[in-house]
Amino acid sequence: MSGTESGARTRAQVLVLGLGNVLLGDDGVGPAALARLERDYRVPPQVRLVEGGTLGLALLDEFVQAEHVILVDAVATGEPAGTLVRLDGDAVKDAVRERLSVHQVGVADLLDVARLIGRYPESVVLLGLAPGFIGLGLTRTAAVDDALDALVSAIVGEVRDLGYELLAQPRAAADRPIHALVRHFGL
Amino acid sequence: MTHVVVDPISRIEGHLRIEAEVEGGAVKQAWSSSTMFRGVELILEGRDPRDAWAFTQRICGVCTTVHAIASIRAVEHAIGATPPPNARILRNLIIAAQNVHDHVIHFYHLQALDWVDVVSALSGDPAKTARLAQSISDWPLSSAAYFSGVRARVKAFVERGQLGIFANAYWGHPAYRLPPEANLMALAHYLEALDWQRRFVKIHAVLGGKNPHLQSFLVGGMATPVDPDAQASLNMGTIAQLRQLVAEGVDFVSRVYVPDVLAIAPFYKDWFSIGPGVTNYLSYGDFPLDDSADPVLYLPAGVIHDNDLSRIAPVDQGKIDEYVTHSWYDYTMGDDKGLNPYHGQTNPHYTGPKPPFKRLNVEEKYSWLKSPRYDGAPMQVGPLARMLVAYGTGRPSRARQLIDSALKQLGAQPAALFSTLGRIAARALEAQVLVESMGMWVDALAEQMARRDFRIQDTSRWDPGTWPRECFGAGFHEAPRGALGHWVHIRDGRIAKYQCVVPSTWNAGPRDARGQPGPYEASLEGTPVAKPEQPLEILRTVHSFDPCMACGVHVVDASRRELARVRAS
Repeated sequence: MSGTESGARTRAQVLVLGLGNVLLGDDGVGPAALARLERDYRVPPQVRLVEGGTLGLALLDEFVQAEHVILVDAVATGEPAGTLVRLDGDAVKDAVRERLSVHQVGVADLLDVARLIGRYPESVVLLGLAPGFIGLGLTRTAAVDDALDALVSAIVGEVRDLGYELLAQPRAAADRPIHALVRHFGL
Repeated sequence: MTHVVVDPISRIEGHLRIEAEVEGGAVKQAWSSSTMFRGVELILEGRDPRDAWAFTQRICGVCTTVHAIASIRAVEHAIGATPPPNARILRNLIIAAQNVHDHVIHFYHLQALDWVDVVSALSGDPAKTARLAQSISDWPLSSAAYFSGVRARVKAFVERGQLGIFANAYWGHPAYRLPPEANLMALAHYLEALDWQRRFVKIHAVLGGKNPHLQSFLVGGMATPVDPDAQASLNMGTIAQLRQLVAEGVDFVSRVYVPDVLAIAPFYKDWFSIGPGVTNYLSYGDFPLDDSADPVLYLPAGVIHDNDLSRIAPVDQGKIDEYVTHSWYDYTMGDDKGLNPYHGQTNPHYTGPKPPFKRLNVEEKYSWLKSPRYDGAPMQVGPLARMLVAYGTGRPSRARQLIDSALKQLGAQPAALFSTLGRIAARALEAQVLVESMGMWVDALAEQMARRDFRIQDTSRWDPGTWPRECFGAGFHEAPRGALGHWVHIRDGRIAKYQCVVPSTWNAGPRDARGQPGPYEASLEGTPVAKPEQPLEILRTVHSFDPCMACGVHVVDASRRELARVRAS
């Protein structure tokens, strides 16, 4: 997505994986955060942004190719909608296992399988927002939309801690593939 | 009488609930319910039909291609666009890759563990396992050292204290019958399958430019440029890459997946007569081999009634109706009538108990799935339906050849296919038929390049000004789980109405106006249940259909903490 060829991909050091269903209201917060990152930041080649939707094992290759993974998802912690959530270490596994992250089963399997085949990334962090409404619809609740910039900043900060800088760029610079999503889903 | 409830039953996204009455050690009656509403149709109304695929693609969290394909076909049918040969060939490759990938993953990841006991595998002797593996296949990863390594790896994983993917199973259940070595072999291949699929799925990246959600679909064709001289196109380098990936796919399916199924089946031969259920089968057919309006299909279309493979009827979409007698919808003309999807209605009206509840009221409405019927009859759809139509019509000949050879090896008759194990075997054999066929389409693509035919889209109907003011279209596709149809009604360049009838609706739908059970429900009747509190046998039969409710229904209940709840009372 970030300017790499499918054939000869450079090994991504950091994978930012947006999870969630864009048809289901606040569930689409992961893809929405990714679309905003794509639009507003210049992404170095060592950082790969992937919109994973609601897929599970089909993301395995992306997942195990990265040294560090940042999952971005709606995280139902019971806190008010729009609350920024950060989990790391075993808490990520527990969250997806306990189905806090709404893509639990697929993502839980993804984590397990990566470990089973001996290719678990060095670190996996889950960043997200507590959802307000998950149900049929292309729009998100105001609380979640208002918190989207904070989530994007948190991702930028996380990537910076791993040693890479996402530089802000003027809007609507390049016509990137993810813009098809922006057009269709009004992200 | 014991009432058994399994909810949710799929390990992947979705909500399927099975209620069963168990009496005398077997299921007497069963009810299949989807407990979440799906309504993508409502989102599509008023939109540009050329964009519909991008929305429908997101219906399913598992199949990334199937709703996009059905959608562009429906719109093309409505507006009269004809994709050029390159687009047809690319779509065939994408569809075949999706089916093969899905069949392998779902067998190992979602079905095999109903038959393979992981705990028993940990006591398998590596040397004996190596002898077993070498006796069924010449797949090179079969040494004692290899199996010893796998055993150690899984042991370490299990000893971390969290079973993860192996949790929530009934290890040690009396219905498991494989010797430890067969369990260990299958477990090793489960891990190999997970690793193999990482590579195989790259076919989609090559063809679609971007994975995991292919962005290269286009009404009238595809958005992938084909040009042997251009770097950023499908070119001769791509062809070589595809040939390599297809060869690896053929290798894995024919030397691991199919031999595993044929090695496991003899231990469970009674399952060739368990779970037959509905005796009618429907396949829309797929993989067009030419560019005419009524092309020859590599997997033919057909309808089978009463298990009669000697008389396969053509498919007439006009005979498809959906009923809501037992579904949480209202029809304006009354709930006892069926509606063809062109005139379908999606008026949700939940009348079930307030969750959490103990029992559904199965006398009334009890599912968010409708009940599709063909000429009034329930139909099984999926790999078994496709392979039976192929077997009956003799096309493709490779299907018949593989089925006959598998039956011979198992000492079984074709009638054995009408069963829980038959569905699992048909899925494996279909994977082999399809992965082998992919080479043919890669060659066809190379030939197109050689004759410098680079056309990829029929643009003559792209402008809505060229469309009739009002038009109707139906798009059909054989998805991994079976017959998928999208119906679109376009008025003034916008979607007036949209209906999807998905494979899991055919298979998992509830009873209809005449009380006829759907395929899941019917196939569970007579399924033995040794321990009602551990209904492993129910899972076997339901999983043999490869349940994936994501496209049948939607929305995840984040407050639900358990993976599966089983209650026997």
